[in-house]
Amino acid sequence: MTLCTLLLAALPATAAQPATPDLLAIKVGKAETIDQGTLEHAVILIEDGKIVMIGEDLPIERGIPVLDRDPEWTVMPGLVNAYSRGPLDSRGGNDANPGLRASDELYPGEDFYGDVLELGVTTLGLYPAGNGIPGRAVAVRPRGDTAEEMILRDDVYLKIRMRSSGSDKKMLRKGFEDADGWIEDEQKAREKWEKEQEKKKKSKKKKDDDKSVAGPATPSLDDDDGEYTPPEKDASAEAFLQLRSGELTALFAISQASDYLHLIDAIGDEEFQWDLRVPVTSELNIFYVKEEIGARGCRVMIEPQLSQHPNTLRLRNLPMELSDAGAKLVLVPRSDSVWGHEEWLHNTGEMVGYGLDREVALRAVTLEPAELLGVGDRVGSLTPGKDANLIFFEGDPLEPGTRVEAVMLEGEFVAGEVKL
Amino acid sequence: MRFPLHVKAALAAGLLFAAAPLVRASFTPPTFDDEEESEEGEESAEEDGPDTRYFAVVGADIHTGTGEVLRGATLLSKNGKIQAIGYDIEIPGRDFQADVPSAERGYTTEVLDATGFRVYPGMVAIESSGLLGTGGDFRDSIDPFDQNMVLGLGAGITSTGQGSSAVKLKRYVSDGTDVDYDFDGVVLRDKWYTTMSYNSANSRRSLREDLERASQYIREYRKWQEDVKSDKELKEPSKKGVNGSVVEVLTGQIMAKFRADSREELLGIARIAQEYGFRPVIDGAREGWTVADELGRAGAYAIVTPRERRDKNELLVRDGGSSIENAAILHAAGVQIAIKPGSRGVSLGGITGRDIMHLPVEVGFAIRGGLPEEAAVASVTTVPARMMGVAHRVGTLAKGRDCDLIVTDGDLLHYQTFVQWAVVDGKVVYDKEAELFFAHIRPRAETEVAPLQRLDAGENEEEEEGDEDDDDEKDKKKDDEDDD
Repeated sequence: MTLCTLLLAALPATAAQPATPDLLAIKVGKAETIDQGTLEHAVILIEDGKIVMIGEDLPIERGIPVLDRDPEWTVMPGLVNAYSRGPLDSRGGNDANPGLRASDELYPGEDFYGDVLELGVTTLGLYPAGNGIPGRAVAVRPRGDTAEEMILRDDVYLKIRMRSSGSDKKMLRKGFEDADGWIEDEQKAREKWEKEQEKKKKSKKKKDDDKSVAGPATPSLDDDDGEYTPPEKDASAEAFLQLRSGELTALFAISQASDYLHLIDAIGDEEFQWDLRVPVTSELNIFYVKEEIGARGCRVMIEPQLSQHPNTLRLRNLPMELSDAGAKLVLVPRSDSVWGHEEWLHNTGEMVGYGLDREVALRAVTLEPAELLGVGDRVGSLTPGKDANLIFFEGDPLEPGTRVEAVMLEGEFVAGEVKL
Repeated sequence: MRFPLHVKAALAAGLLFAAAPLVRASFTPPTFDDEEESEEGEESAEEDGPDTRYFAVVGADIHTGTGEVLRGATLLSKNGKIQAIGYDIEIPGRDFQADVPSAERGYTTEVLDATGFRVYPGMVAIESSGLLGTGGDFRDSIDPFDQNMVLGLGAGITSTGQGSSAVKLKRYVSDGTDVDYDFDGVVLRDKWYTTMSYNSANSRRSLREDLERASQYIREYRKWQEDVKSDKELKEPSKKGVNGSVVEVLTGQIMAKFRADSREELLGIARIAQEYGFRPVIDGAREGWTVADELGRAGAYAIVTPRERRDKNELLVRDGGSSIENAAILHAAGVQIAIKPGSRGVSLGGITGRDIMHLPVEVGFAIRGGLPEEAAVASVTTVPARMMGVAHRVGTLAKGRDCDLIVTDGDLLHYQTFVQWAVVDGKVVYDKEAELFFAHIRPRAETEVAPLQRLDAGENEEEEEGDEDDDDEKDKKKDDEDDD
């Protein structure tokens, strides 16, 4: 009860919104669809929180309520920040805890969620804090009274910190060794079980000599340990087996070029899906391996920020360089505060001003992070069938002066004063 | 000029034999695969695969570090090991009458035209710090992009002692594809010395005890080895109280390094080393010139810094204090000299010219004191390599050795000389013109700027031509646009 009142107090703007109709057509001047370029005079049809149809100058059937903001508004998909701690505290250990989940520390009542939602952030990837292997991230919508209501998808990536150090490399190798260890144990246990079964069968045969023996799968009444149960996996073995099977992806946080080489060395022959997190520092030297990263084609999560060539004052646009080299770009706010989210799009625009491709930049704050979080089929672009997570601007979203006019989360206006 | 070297070599050989009986009997010293490797090289029956990497330097005066100077010669390496040095060497992929179509060649060749330049073995700094990043085990912590590594290479250093290990300045060179870096190749040797001290009554006593116990243990161990053949139940002698490192020193596996400057300590070390049959490495040895004969007889190695000073004790009548002639006198007495500068790391503040970047300058001061030039070059190449037990891989240019070399625009030890290229494991890891540090100082003259020829596995050759065409077209287009 107290929680509810708190929530109401926390989200006055949201609470004051009038209910958005279930079926709605929105006409805007421009739509940045991300997956099919920019549409002029776009019409988006929304039903039950999903985008049903999108196109240029679509005829709208009579009776459908229309929100006509053509030509002043531009719409783009809600922003996806795949790397945030949000309101969670940042303390963490240095050990390998691949079983920990950020979703376990989720507390829905925080102001942060409402604040960033008003800024157009409709999906957040919350990661577990700490060095070493801090655990698994969760994708959430920044709205909901309970953790269950917030969670879009859990176990979206396993965060692993990798530095040029023996201990970090060992930690990663040990994870896969744990997985191998379990496979071995499992094999032994299975063989043992099979032998036991055979013994039982034989003894049963002797007992029920004249009866015909049914298939081995048929459960017999006097079987005390009928089904085969594989040995328990520990958290490490489980996580690394999931990595191998593709159920889980890894996000490696590295801080310089040499870390990447050591990472490749530590990974060795293991094959699994992984992406990179590279925080921009003033003299980040990741450009030394940009071609290698590009050749691999993994995602690189980085802040939209210029840096300097080490020991010089020469500016480098590393997001652009990485993207040009072939890496898939994911841009995250420079600061994980509400203010950081407010500046996020403008900083992204700055990168475009310094040469980053506009389409890449827009994708880097929407669809690319959504795919990193494994929710690319639900959010991240203006595509029929996806959630109606939309931000409306009056002007170009990447221009410094542009402000958010309205935000829609799953078909419902959650920010801005919108009159039909 | 050469005479002292021969004397030195003879002395060294003699001393090695003196120490040999200890080594031979039961403790096998670490075996290096030197011979095997060179045999493999001779066969060269290994088929060239797409990973085969040839690298050649042509046109330079090659100072091999073994006494030879080959003017305008060619050095060819295959997969990071030197395959041939000399004249009329066929460089795979460069022969114009090659009957194998370039597309089927299946290997890469890189040719560095260094006409007018000199080639030396990459320098071996006996001691340095911070050139490979900050870490313990360099296999797992090296930063192959470290700025200090670039500066070290720019100074001409390709190998160095860091802590007690011998490592290479193996910079990462991107070829635009997936990561290709041999982390194991960074470390030449994990532990080449143990520290011993002889500077106080206590340390002297404990050192003597350690040596006594260790040699006692070695004797017992050898006796056991013989006896166990007849009586298999015999127990191995106990290692209790025996310092393992000291055993390693006495069996010739690692070196014993002393930090000592005063005449008394140096004499004491020479004596104890002869008594127990090992060759000490003396770091400092500022008064070494006063007891050079004794140190020479003990087969000592010395790591000296010619510009370091030590005052004479004026209460004593006999010689003392530092001398500019120290290195020269020690060398003449048969002490093998390695030279290190005053500061181990790259230091960009304070008084310039005393850090690891100025290793050749420091060596210059030894020459000023009378050290023959050949010995001076050896003090930053062969001698440190020998001390660290890695002379079979670095320090000289010879068939089978690692292709670690530097290309300079003048005499290695001239103050004006710049390293133009540095090569580690057959890869160009430093190019003066490509780095931000010295490119602007006396840039390579137009005629001297030798383009690095890259002969790919064949498939790119046509593309290169195509590129040229494209460029032409672009130029034309530009012209057209200009016209418009």
